[in-house]
This record gives sequence, structure tokens and C-alpha cells, in this order.
Amino acid sequence: MSAIALTRRRGRRHSIRRPRTGFLLVLPAALVAVGLFVVPLVLAARMSVSDWPLLGEPSFTGLENYRAIAGNDLVGQALGFTAKYAAVILVVLLAVALGLAMLVRRPRRGVGLLRTAFFLPAAVGLTSAALLFYELYFAGLSPVDDALTGLGLIDRPIDWLGQPGTAFLSVVIMMTWRFAGFYMLILLAGLQSIPDDVYEAARLDGANRWQTLRHVTLPLLRPSLALCTILIITGALLAFEQFYVLTNGGPDNSTVTLVIVIVREAFSFLDLGSAAAISMVVLGGLIVLNVVQLLALRRER
Amino acid sequence: MTALLTRPTAAPGAARRARHRRAGVVSGVLAALLALLFAFPLVRAAILSVTDGGGLTTDNYGKLADFGAGLPTYLWNSAVVTVITVAGSLALAIPAGYGFARYTFRGKNLIFVLILAILMIPHPTILIPLYVLLGDLGLQNTLIGVALVMIMFQLPFSVFMMRIAFSAVPEELEEAAMLDGCSETRAMLRVSLAAVVPSVVTVGLFAFFAAWNEFLTPLILLNDGSRFTLPIALVSLRSGDFGAVDLGALQAGVIVSALPCVVLFLLLQRHYVRGLLAGALRG
Amino acid sequence: MARVQRRARPARLAAAVAATALLLAACGSDDEPTSTGGQTDDTADAGGDTGATLTMWARSVTAPQTEALVEAYNATHENQIELTVVPFDSYLQKVAAAAGGRELPDLLAANVVEAPNYAQLGLWQDIGDRIDSLDHADALAPSHIDAGTVDDKRYAVPHVVDTSALYVNTKILEAAGVDPADPAPTLRALADNIATIQAANPDVQGLYVAGSCGGCLVFTIWPSIWASGGEVLGEDGTESLLDQPEALEVFEAYNQLFADGAIPEAARNEAGPTQNEPFANGQAAFSLLGSKALATIPESDALSIGVVPIPGVDGGRSSFVGGDVLGISSSSEQADAAWDFVEWTLSDEAQLEVMAKNKNLTVRTDLASNQYSEQDPRLVLLNELVGEGRTPYAGNFFQTFNDPNGPGLPLMRAGLFGDDPAAEVPELNGAVNDSLQRN
Repeated sequence: MSAIALTRRRGRRHSIRRPRTGFLLVLPAALVAVGLFVVPLVLAARMSVSDWPLLGEPSFTGLENYRAIAGNDLVGQALGFTAKYAAVILVVLLAVALGLAMLVRRPRRGVGLLRTAFFLPAAVGLTSAALLFYELYFAGLSPVDDALTGLGLIDRPIDWLGQPGTAFLSVVIMMTWRFAGFYMLILLAGLQSIPDDVYEAARLDGANRWQTLRHVTLPLLRPSLALCTILIITGALLAFEQFYVLTNGGPDNSTVTLVIVIVREAFSFLDLGSAAAISMVVLGGLIVLNVVQLLALRRER
Repeated sequence: MTALLTRPTAAPGAARRARHRRAGVVSGVLAALLALLFAFPLVRAAILSVTDGGGLTTDNYGKLADFGAGLPTYLWNSAVVTVITVAGSLALAIPAGYGFARYTFRGKNLIFVLILAILMIPHPTILIPLYVLLGDLGLQNTLIGVALVMIMFQLPFSVFMMRIAFSAVPEELEEAAMLDGCSETRAMLRVSLAAVVPSVVTVGLFAFFAAWNEFLTPLILLNDGSRFTLPIALVSLRSGDFGAVDLGALQAGVIVSALPCVVLFLLLQRHYVRGLLAGALRG
Repeated sequence: MARVQRRARPARLAAAVAATALLLAACGSDDEPTSTGGQTDDTADAGGDTGATLTMWARSVTAPQTEALVEAYNATHENQIELTVVPFDSYLQKVAAAAGGRELPDLLAANVVEAPNYAQLGLWQDIGDRIDSLDHADALAPSHIDAGTVDDKRYAVPHVVDTSALYVNTKILEAAGVDPADPAPTLRALADNIATIQAANPDVQGLYVAGSCGGCLVFTIWPSIWASGGEVLGEDGTESLLDQPEALEVFEAYNQLFADGAIPEAARNEAGPTQNEPFANGQAAFSLLGSKALATIPESDALSIGVVPIPGVDGGRSSFVGGDVLGISSSSEQADAAWDFVEWTLSDEAQLEVMAKNKNLTVRTDLASNQYSEQDPRLVLLNELVGEGRTPYAGNFFQTFNDPNGPGLPLMRAGLFGDDPAAEVPELNGAVNDSLQRN
């Protein structure tokens, strides 16, 4: 019996694990998800097909709110900008986080200190982090400017948040500072779960550093990388606070993200129907994107 | 690079060892520089928060302490929300992660995707329906209501992390325990849970950070200023006196709000590293 | 944010006695509401001070004034106000969620420019009859009352008023030999004086404005349009007149100041949070600021503050009467008690002993000159501007002009800093009209 059980393939495992137990284990989390996510979501979906005043009775308007999205110039502009931001921040964050994780992977003297230093920013709230950098970037005060001036690279302080290009860069830098340690930690957990013998084997096969990274580390790190990718892309497409605090969508609406548009519709125009409709479209897009990602991951496995 | 602590299994040649040592020095210097860069903004804020032109001052912290309903109130409210969020996240995510990793049952994928979908909803949108819903549940304007919503927002990350963690534990270990006469639950507790301590710590830590630092959720869900949490106080501090933002007091606020998170991370890091070492030894 | 604690029992007893005395003194001539609209209150005998606990929300920018008023009221009345101060940039989010959940506080203050919107949305009760019952109804800041009026129904009274003016660092002017008494009778004269100052001391900044803050720009630039005889919005607030000759002339005047270096480059991207600094540090000779700056900016070796009205291109003077209004929320079931507080905040007692005494403007034009403001001629001027100034009226004002992502800010930035304001501003005006007309 034991020999058979141990050699059984993954799909057959349920023979000794009762499905009902699995369901019961998952149930509490599922209940919270249904009660506090699905139910409000249904309400939001109803808002999206209604004219929903703050007070008084809502009235059904069909797809009116969805049709209005096409006519909203700011949405198109925000979609383009948000996609660009997601692509840039994904590449930058994954590269920096992986680099940091490799640096602090092995136990050695001072490695705890390094991990702490890299991770420290993740302990600061996003709003606080944005406020910290707001002050750093503020023209005339910025030590970054002092450094660049000292190196002779610029002759007067850069107006970091005042020009579209540098404003975008400012947010990317702040977000990298804030989140690189967070993703480093996830990747580190993945790296630690790769058994040493695999590296031993690669070394015996004569693989160099780069080959080991490409053919051993990255493939085995795939689940962790997938988690990071999903979190980064989703986070980027829902980006709000970082832009809200640092650039407020400016200068001249050059950094308006989708959620800034949603917030504007909901809390500036108080048009809850329109905000809900845009949210539904964003949610739908994200679900499709992430399901495709998960399926691709599973197939490769 | 690994010279200090690697097991003496392979016996590499002297040339290889020298090359490694060189690489170690280079990466060490690089890492140290990067660490300074990462620490710079916070260290700078800490310094600015206790200086005033030339001299040292506690003015900024004094202003912070007296602000609004008073710092102790905000700290207490934040602590309540955070503790409930951490406990709730772990209580939900550990069993759920185990269930997803180890069992097959009808609707499993649907439930998993549903939980992940939480990650994808813009928070501002869902907070208005949530406000109404919490009112129906009698939890409007309560810290518990805020914590419940934070638990929900954390669910995708918590469950995903725990699922990955349990999946990485070789199932044969548990099956051996079960064959030894343990029940499913006890097998999980005895073997797997011990192996996923680092992930439990991570999930708890991030639930802590999320709840402690969240601004929008408590702002919208709480009506009463005496129940506001620390981040709301910070934002008020910034926007209160328009045109003359008090950067000193704000820096002090950032430091006060970051401190518990940093301390907790430092304390737990020992467990975290021990968990990793235990995993490595077992492997 | 700050919740004003309820007082302990003995103190409240004493407070009740004091309150009665106060009521006799201040409200002796009070009549029942004259109209027979749905507002007749049965508890008028008690004046609404019936020991109710009332909730109130206010924006953080009015925290000092609102907290002072609530504290003084709670100390002298049976009713107790529980005040929650909300960060001003999150106020609408909070109001929207609470309105959806039917959980608005009894007393709801609001940015005055949003008053038409709040009234149209039905967030407040009609308090027209109650306002009429006041002795000094006609003296309440007229532009604030107008802002809270929709279809001849009045929903709000002025709560905190804030007028915009031109601030002058008289030390810099004197050092450059410019007379600080009347340095800007016209925008042209202002430009000449800045040129003189900067010729004497090239390091000095001329005029500082918050060039990337919509709310600040309407507050500080629009008065020049009014002073020049122009209008900014059509009668019903659905049409922008910022592309009309008077407005364009004002934009061009400021644009010239920017081109000449009289408005510093840094002002272009000032989003508001640090807008006081260049003036407070003594770096800027002039700054366009609100009345509250007088109390918050300390004078120093480098700064003596003078205040003059904002001029038009060739003369005239005007001001934007900003600040907050106060209404009773439509869901409040304690309207009489809530009105007792509202009424008290407008009384001589509150306006003089709480507001004016702490260097705040009074919301009543008949108190513009009082024993406290008379000690400071600058305060007299700022108080006078409450009666003279304007508050523009539009249902979609905030989302069009204050929201940093609204179409108003790009238009004003094009006017102030663009290469060709006469061409760019009319082009951008269409988007502003669309926003104003959106339902």
C-alpha cells in the first residue's frame, strides 16, 4: 500500500485526501471573498448600468455608462499611459528585485543588514513613501540635484515633477525604492526553495554563472516570478496613490492613470454609475490578462 | 561568495576559491552601496525630523503628539485594526492555502480565481458598496469593519503565498506521517506547517504593513474622527494648513508610522532566517 | 479629525446656565419662522438647545476656526457637537460614501465653490425660512449665500470666509525705493514696480503664484478679471467666459510677467502645498494669497507684510470670497438642534469673540469693522473684501476648475505660461464648457 501510494501521480492523490476536507479548509476564505467582495461587486455592477445619484432612487440606464466611456477622452489617454507605466515598472522592478535577491541569497556576514536595508522601504506606507519623495524631488531642495550638479551633469536643479518625462521617471524611481525589497523577498523565498544539489549538478556540468541563471535559476523560480509579475502588473494597472501624491496626474494631465479617472468620475463628478462602469471594464481586462497568464504558466509546467 | 558558510561537500580547487573570493568582494561592495542608497531617504527623514535649522529639536514630535485627537488615539486605532487584520489573514489563509495545495474538489479553480480577482478591483470603486454593506451588518464606523475589509483586500496575496508554500513541501513527508497513524490535520500541523513558517511570517508581516499603512479604507469606512487611524492623521497633517505644509512634523509622522513596521521586521527576520536555514538543512 | 470631547457634568450644568443667559441676550428678538413651509419647529421655545448630540464634518483647511467655534459652543450650550475634521483633498470621497449609506452628519460644511453642487444633489435641507428669521440675515456674506442657493431655496450659510489679496513684502519694496502703500493700483503698475525691484536686487522673486493648482489660480487670478470689468462664467454657471477679451487681457498681462521673469519659473509648477514659502522666507516681493495667510505667515527680519487688493489690468479691485459654508444635512433628524448651532455661529458673540478675536474674518458684512479688526488695517481691508468680492457659481465648479485633472487648470496654465495665450485659451475653452455642462 505504501509503495503504491508513494508512487502514485499527483492527480490520483485525492484517493487518500477527502475532497470535502479540502473544501472545508477553503470555505472560510471563500465566505469572506463572497461576502465582502462578490456582494459589493454585484452592487457595483448594478451601479454601472444605472444613473446612480448619491441620494434618491437609481434608475436603470442600460449600457449608457459603458457607451460614455468611449467618448471620454481622458480614459483613452489614461489607458495608454497606464499600459506604458505597467510595462516599464514590470521590467525595472523584476530586474532590480532579482538582482537584489541574488545579492543576499546566501548567508554570509552582514547579509541580514543588507536584506533589512533593501526591505526597509516596504515597511513605509505607499502614501508616506510618496510624501517622502515629494520632498526629495521638490525643486531647489533636492539632494539628487545637488549630487548631479556636483558631478557636473546638470547646471541647474531639475524640475523633477514639472516636466512630463521626469515626472514619470520620478514615480518609477519612487516605486522601485518602495517595492524592490518586497519583490526581492518573494524571489528570495523562491530561490531558497531551490535545492543546492541542483546547483551542484549544474556546476559539475560546467555551467557558467549566466547559464546557471538562465537554465537553472529562472525556470525553477517560475512560480515566484509569476506571482511577482501578476502583482506588479495588477498593481501598476491599478496605480493611484503614487501618482495622486507625487504628480496629481500632471503636469498637464501627462500622468493620469485609469484609477485616477475612476476617482475623478466617482468623487469629483459624483457619477457613481460612470465610475463603476470604468471599474468593471478594468476588472474584466485584468481578470482576462491574469487568467491567460496563469494558464500559460500551467501549460508550461 | 559562499565561502563562509557552505557545507564542505565539494572541494573546489584553489583557483576557483580565489575567483569566488574576488566575486564576493565585488558583490559585497556593490550590495553595501545599494543598501546605503535604499536607506538614504528614510535616514534623511529621520534626521530632518529631529533637526531645526542647526540644532536638535523635539518640536516636530511634539506637534505630532498633540495633533487632532492626539497621537495615542491614532496609534491605538491603527493597532486594533492591524492586530485583527493579521490574525484574520492568517486564520483564513493557512487552511485555505493548504486546501488549495493539497486537495482536489469541485469548484476549486473557480474559488481560487475568485479570491485572486480581489486583487484586480480598484479599491475606490468597491469601497462605496462596502460602506453600505457594512452598515447592513452593523459594522459601519467600526474598527472591526475596517479590519474585515483589509483582510479581504489581503486575501489574494495571503492565500497565493500559502498555496505556493505548501506546494513546495514534499507531500511524501506528510503521507509518511499519515501512514504512521496521524490524521490529515495532524499531518499538516506536524510536518507541513513547520516547514512553511517563513511564509506564515511573510503573510502576517504584509498583512501588518497593509493594515497599518492603509489610508483610503479607514477614511471612507469610519465616520468618527476619534476612530481614525494614523495614516489619516498624517494626510491631515499634510493638508491641514494649505500652502504651508509642515515638512518637519510630516517627516516625524512618517518615522513614527514606519517604526513599528521596521522593528517588527527586524524581530521576525531572525525567525525568518531560521526557517530558511531549517529548510536548507532538511533539503 | 479632532473630536471635541463632551464636557463633564458639572461643567455642563454651568454651561446650561450660561447658555440661557446668552440666549436671552443674543436671541431676544428671535421670532418664529415667518413662513409656513415645512419647517415649523415645535421646540422653538427651547431654541433648539435641547441637549442633543450632533455630529459635524468640516474640511481640514477650516480646522482652526471650526474647532474654536465648536469648543466655545459646547462650553456654553446643552447641545454638544462632535466634530470630525476630514483631510480637505478627501472630503468629497467621504461625503459621497456617507451620502450613499445615508450616514451624513447632522452638520455638513463644504467648500463654498461646491455649494451649488451639494444643494443640487440634495445633501442639505432648505433653511431659507430659518435664515430669514435672523436679524442680520442681509449682512451674511452675500456671495456665500448665493452659492448655497438653488431655485430660490437657500441651503447654507457662510461658515468660514477667506478672501484673496495681493501680499506685499514691504521690506523688499522699501529697500528698492518703491512706495509700499499702493504698489499695485493696476497690473501694469505692478509690473513696473517689480521691474524696479528686480533691477535693484536681481535675486528677488517678483510675484509668486501657485501655477499648478486650479483652486489657487481661480482664487487669485480671477479677481483681476472681475476688477477689469470682465466675467468668468455665464449667469447659470454652464458657460465659461474665460475666452472673452477681458479675461484674455488679464492672462496676457500675467503671461508677460512670467515671460519677463517677474513670476519665477518655480511658480509654474507650484501645486499649492508650499505656496506660502517663497513669500514667508522673504524671497518674493509679492504673492497672491488668501486672508488666512496673514495669521499663519510670521513676520521676520526679512518680511513685513502689507496687504492690498488684487487689481485689474488698468485699475479696479476685486477678490474671490472663498472658504466654507455650513448646512444641515438632509438626513439629519435633529434639524432644530443643528440650527441652534448654525444660528449661534453667526451671532455677534461667535463672530467677534471667537472669529475676529483670533484674527479671522467675520462672515457678516456689518461686523467688517470691529474692535479686533480695527487694530490691524490689513484685517479691515480683508474684511471689506468679503462684501465686495465674488464667489463664482457653477454646479460643476469643483470638477472643472479645482480637480487637478479637470479641464480648467490646463486652460489657466496656457493663459499664464503658454506661448500664445490669445490663441491657446479659446481653444481649450470648449473642454471647460463640456465639463460645466455635463449632468
